[in-house]
Amino acid sequence: MSEFDAGLAAAQEALVRAMTAGGPMPEGFDAGAVRAAAHGILLKRAGEVARAWPSLAESYGTSWKAAFAAWAAERPTRGSLRDGWDFARENRDRFAGDAARELALAEARWSYDGQDPPRPRRAAARRVPGGAVVVLGRWVRVFGRDPSG
Amino acid sequence: MRLGVGIGWRPEISGFVGALPGLRFTEVIAESVHPAAPVPELLALRDRGAAIVPHGVRLSLGGAEPVAAERVARLAACAEALGAPLVSEHVAFVRAGGVEAGHLLPVPRTRAALDALTANIRRTQAELPVPLAVEPIAALFDWPDAEYTEADFLTELLERTGALLLLDVANVYANARNRGEDPADLLARLPLERIAYCHVAGGSQEGGRYHDTHAAAVPNEVLELVAELCARHRPPGFLLERDGRYPPAAELRAELDAIAAASGMEPVT
Repeated sequence: MSEFDAGLAAAQEALVRAMTAGGPMPEGFDAGAVRAAAHGILLKRAGEVARAWPSLAESYGTSWKAAFAAWAAERPTRGSLRDGWDFARENRDRFAGDAARELALAEARWSYDGQDPPRPRRAAARRVPGGAVVVLGRWVRVFGRDPSG
Repeated sequence: MRLGVGIGWRPEISGFVGALPGLRFTEVIAESVHPAAPVPELLALRDRGAAIVPHGVRLSLGGAEPVAAERVARLAACAEALGAPLVSEHVAFVRAGGVEAGHLLPVPRTRAALDALTANIRRTQAELPVPLAVEPIAALFDWPDAEYTEADFLTELLERTGALLLLDVANVYANARNRGEDPADLLARLPLERIAYCHVAGGSQEGGRYHDTHAAAVPNEVLELVAELCARHRPPGFLLERDGRYPPAAELRAELDAIAAASGMEPVT
């Protein structure tokens, strides 16, 4: 007897795709309960992204969780850093101020092509709203009228 | 080992946890620890003799795929770095076919899932320097076509692997409530002497279902279940899990005191 069963693997993948990637609901499950669980996971992901990207989440106010959940419903998680980053890039025209600065700072500090995991940059200089950011190794400095970000 | 009452260490409440005068036991999410350089607050707890249990959430022991060697190695390194007396993980899977679920998902209670769990737990145990405790999860749904009851499934898994049991009293409550069952029935049929420690947490009722969110106060029903469990067999420790929506310190202290009172253990506040 094999320790790992191909049928179990396929069944688990079908369930995960139904819950995170818009796949069809597998037969035999309580679809309402599975959808409730999937929605709970989206809300938890929204909370985790809000901790990684606080200004982004704040810029949406009380609608953050709903906005993120709608965007993430058919996108399996790639971790809260990248989930927030992907969300911010797709919606970057819709926010300004601290949220835009948070994204600009991240893009100065990390190299991220949207596919592979982000990697820290050794050195970078970027404009951020209201100023500029300079990165040298682990040293990060924001120059500008309001260097609080 | 007597652990007593503890609370899960999280960065947001590290000051509160570190200042608890009687604390001898905490837990840290294993994936948040850098084994080569754990945060100073954790090392300070270790150095004053508190037991720190790395609690994994991404191993996917219940996955149909073999557990990843590098994830097991990292968990083992965490245990070494923190001087842990044991580590814990879940009876659950978190990814399949390369797709991350983003949360712990239930396994079917079938022979195939039992075989996969057994193989993954044995592979993990072989690399760990300390014992492994496994935790049944709270689930809003069950798989169809179960071949075992929950108690029989867990009992056979523990017998096959020699693993310890991390029993989450709030999960027992949540599952029983969502299934319309009596939580005491599961307690009566589990091998309670194999419990390494217990979790306790609060959740919330949404859309007719109880969600084990760890973001609310522990409900009285869960405290009553703690007392019921201790009347049958008092486990070595109870750990409060709180994730997000951290309340003022006074409320956290009151929760810890309530757990101590329900379990008959010393207060740590």
